[in-house]
Amino acid sequence: MKYVKGLKCRECAREYPIEPIYVCEFCFGPLEVVYDYTKIKKVLTRRVIERRPKTLWRYKELLPIDGEPQVGLNSGFTPLVKAENLAKYLGVKELYIKDDTVAHPTLSFKDRVVAVALTKAKEFGFDTAACASTGNLAHAVSAHGAKAGFNRFIFIPATLEQNKILASIVYEPNLVAVDGNYDDVNRLCSEIANKYRWAFVNINIRPYYAEGSKTIGFEIVEQLGWEAPDSIVVPCASGSLLTKVWKALKEFKEIGIIKKVETKIYGAQATGCSPISTAFKQGTDVIRPVKPNTIAKSLAIGNPADGYYALQAVKESGGAMEDVSDDEIIEAIKILSKTEGIFAETAGGVTVATYIKLLKEGKIDKKDCTVLCITGNGLKTAEVLNGKTTEVYYIKPNLASFEEALKKINEKKGR
Amino acid sequence: MSEVKKLRVRLTFPQELIKEPVLFRMAKKYDVMPNIRRARVTDTFGEMILELEGLEENLEQGINSLREQGVVVELIEGDVIE
Repeated sequence: MKYVKGLKCRECAREYPIEPIYVCEFCFGPLEVVYDYTKIKKVLTRRVIERRPKTLWRYKELLPIDGEPQVGLNSGFTPLVKAENLAKYLGVKELYIKDDTVAHPTLSFKDRVVAVALTKAKEFGFDTAACASTGNLAHAVSAHGAKAGFNRFIFIPATLEQNKILASIVYEPNLVAVDGNYDDVNRLCSEIANKYRWAFVNINIRPYYAEGSKTIGFEIVEQLGWEAPDSIVVPCASGSLLTKVWKALKEFKEIGIIKKVETKIYGAQATGCSPISTAFKQGTDVIRPVKPNTIAKSLAIGNPADGYYALQAVKESGGAMEDVSDDEIIEAIKILSKTEGIFAETAGGVTVATYIKLLKEGKIDKKDCTVLCITGNGLKTAEVLNGKTTEVYYIKPNLASFEEALKKINEKKGR
Repeated sequence: MSEVKKLRVRLTFPQELIKEPVLFRMAKKYDVMPNIRRARVTDTFGEMILELEGLEENLEQGINSLREQGVVVELIEGDVIE
């Protein structure tokens, strides 16, 4: 049974059939998937969901596919960790980490969106999947595409670091390094996407791809015992994740899975790339593109496609936006690691640091039940911590040397 | 000989350029055809979503001239590198 009605322009509301298209031919507004909630309401209940395997596909009626899931069959349903130590450290009442550092198979939330995008690409009959990425998206398309049998084209800027290249090329996609700046790569990929009949996941498949992010919102509600939290902090790159988490909560209410949504959505950015947060703080609707300069590379989108819509979602929910410095990001990565044992990539540091800042500003209540979306694993960006961690105790292979070190450790502890 | 191309872009005008016929001048000088689909202009900023059509090299020169004047020119897809 089909639950998707079609695509609709977010700007002029013109409707389109389900095809690999992403932009309204009339006003050039972005297209979004529209569902038949009346039909979904009849089949999707808490009980039905609870009986299904613990993957993102347990909400499949609210995802834009016609048939059965085909890609990412083990993705999603990551832990919602009750962060008691971090809550105590920060003096807040109830805090949770939505932990996508352990997403299957490539350790970031991109596994969710790519699972949905490539299932849809199969339905459309594509044999080639493509993306332009400097990290997480490249890893997810390379890996999911390998398992699903796609020919894969991954475009990267030629200046990309070797360790990031390795985490993609190990899956043996066609990795194309473009000699040019980010603007050049963006423009070339857009041109290629319009010329070749490929599933370019975040261009012509974008309306479907983006829907995969809703599963973070669905899972948060389910894992909290079918209740929406008071506040959710979401990192913002293109702004798509934030808009989809908000959409997820509203959809659950629409089909009667939850009775009310009083959640405030907070957006987190790095100050070195904060076009959405800046617009929020200036009280304008205009997102002015910026040249990114931050260690949070996975959030470094200077011209965010969904920035305007993320801003609207934040305002509609009664939330706020904030941005944090590179030093605050590193400090937050360390705080999350030492309190909760969760090693997040820089984007996770942005989320935690922004939460801390919003608490200090009094914009998030300490009594709120808050969920922090931690979207990627720290091993992906470990180099940012070089020289910024505690020291290693180097010793000789004898007891005396160890005890000397132990003395130092105890002295430090006593201080 | 370069080929005719179409480019869908978003232009953001700074306040000081709002009263200037920036787009018309560029279109005329570089023989580029603008096809405006959406626009928003207030007293502090201007934003325009449009298609530009012309020879590849003319498009490039036209866009460069807009940028030199302080107009931000970006693809409507946003940044596709994620």
